[in-house]
Amino acid sequence: MLFSKKKRKGQPLPAKRREDMPNVKEGLTFKQWKAKHAPNHKWRNKRWAVLLTLNTLFWASFAFDISVLEGSLSGSRFFGIYLMDLFNSLQQVLIRVRTGNFGMLTTNFFIGIGVIATFYFLAGGRTFCSWICPYHFLAENAEKLHNWLVKKKKIKEHSYAIGVKYVAFAMFLVLAFVTKQLVFEDMNPVGIISRSIIYGPSVLLLWVLGLLLFEIFHTKRFWCRYVCPMGVTYSAIGKFSPTAIKFDLDKCGHCRDCQDVCLVPHELWFVKRGEATKEVHFAGADCTRCGLCVDTCYGDALTITVKGIDSLL
Amino acid sequence: MAKKEKEKEISRRQFLRFSVATAIGVGAVGAGVTYLSTKDTTNGENMLRPPGAIANDDFMYACIKCGLCVQICPIDAVKLADLTQGLSYGTPYLDVREQACDFSCGAMQCVETCPTAALDFIQFKEEGEKAITKYEKEHPNDHDFNIIAVQLPAMHEYTKMGTAVLNTDTCLAANGKGFKGSPRDANFKGVYASPADVKNGLSPYPVNEHEFDRSICDICVTDCPIGEKAIIVENKIPKVLEGCTGCGVCTMICPTEGPSITMKKA
Repeated sequence: MLFSKKKRKGQPLPAKRREDMPNVKEGLTFKQWKAKHAPNHKWRNKRWAVLLTLNTLFWASFAFDISVLEGSLSGSRFFGIYLMDLFNSLQQVLIRVRTGNFGMLTTNFFIGIGVIATFYFLAGGRTFCSWICPYHFLAENAEKLHNWLVKKKKIKEHSYAIGVKYVAFAMFLVLAFVTKQLVFEDMNPVGIISRSIIYGPSVLLLWVLGLLLFEIFHTKRFWCRYVCPMGVTYSAIGKFSPTAIKFDLDKCGHCRDCQDVCLVPHELWFVKRGEATKEVHFAGADCTRCGLCVDTCYGDALTITVKGIDSLL
Repeated sequence: MAKKEKEKEISRRQFLRFSVATAIGVGAVGAGVTYLSTKDTTNGENMLRPPGAIANDDFMYACIKCGLCVQICPIDAVKLADLTQGLSYGTPYLDVREQACDFSCGAMQCVETCPTAALDFIQFKEEGEKAITKYEKEHPNDHDFNIIAVQLPAMHEYTKMGTAVLNTDTCLAANGKGFKGSPRDANFKGVYASPADVKNGLSPYPVNEHEFDRSICDICVTDCPIGEKAIIVENKIPKVLEGCTGCGVCTMICPTEGPSITMKKA
């Protein structure tokens, strides 16, 4: 979606009446209802555990010379199976088509792309971001600090059009094609952090620090929301994934606390009273499947589901 | 209660403005980064690319900086460059004075592991196959020869990381001097497997445990993994030949302060 004005399919359903609100159905006031179903951190804890474990595994595989997860986030080998980062590979293929060296690429390269593409299609959306990306881990916590500063009125909020990330994506591809360099990889905070964890700190961590400070004091999630082409690639792969965040209009109290915690709030547009066009919605391609909204939701209106087999689960 | 994300209505004009800003921003930063990353500010001495590295222009995009070559090297000869090394960030290099490549891993493991053929294994594979065909032709009656023993030396000899250059001003042999003891200081961490050392076979051990006693120093010649195709003694001084692969063992074990034999990038 290029403009923040959503091209929503169909007319919105009529806004929910008072007697249909989940708290009224339970015979509680809204406050009591929220207090009864207090948020937890179930998914966040799982997610952080996965993220930290994987990045530790990368480090441990090199530090202790164990063949578990070798390499770094731009390309690695998991128990001997190659894994390739998709945006990096896209640039690689593009440059090689230009230079005529496409045939040199190894079978392992294509196996790596295949495995990663399949995995992220099944996982859906920008799962990579919130479950694996080490920069995300820092930025997610920086975002909390940013939100706190905004709340305390120390800084002002800045936001741009979400769609500029597609412009950045295209520009990085053009740059790669023109310069015959993996330009993005030289400034990619994901790769820089990953390599710094595994092979020792790089001076480029200063650039990452600068980005984080900018995100804390100026624009919330600047890199992830408006620049990162890795995220764009993964969201394209995971757009039609069976795994998704499911929204059940019937159970929703329209408190919109989920949008407050959501890392990509534009994907939860349907939680606003009178916006939903269907009884059931699924969060879009930018959704990172982080589960923060699921942890927060008082009425269990938001759940992580696998389409097709959700009735079996 | 925290403020709700304000849904800003962004006009086509505003979006265009953001897009142009992004395009210019990415373009400018990208161009700067490209300039910085392609600049090689090393003098090319003793800082080499790993075996099988393709031509530098191609290497710069082919290398995705994953570090698999670094991980697989059993003697930690391959390292990843930071910006401070004067090489493109994240690309692999060998500082052969600190740790040379002694080919002791056998079959060019760093090359074989590279998923994007920045270190291109195909050329080595072909070279190995050529050697086998040649051996079979020359020895028609030898049916169960050791394929690996035929293949590997050919692959090693095919390597071209750089070329050794001898400085006759400081070279001990050129000055008629001998050498006794271990070539590097006690804290030196480098290892290598000496081809002359039958006792230790081909497993590398610390430079400090290699002891020499020569009336005229020739340790770079005797301990060269490639042998007489790469370096010989001529008129009592070492002479580097065409076959030098740039592995850097001679540079690493040169006993003079500041090596008398250095590696020039291929």
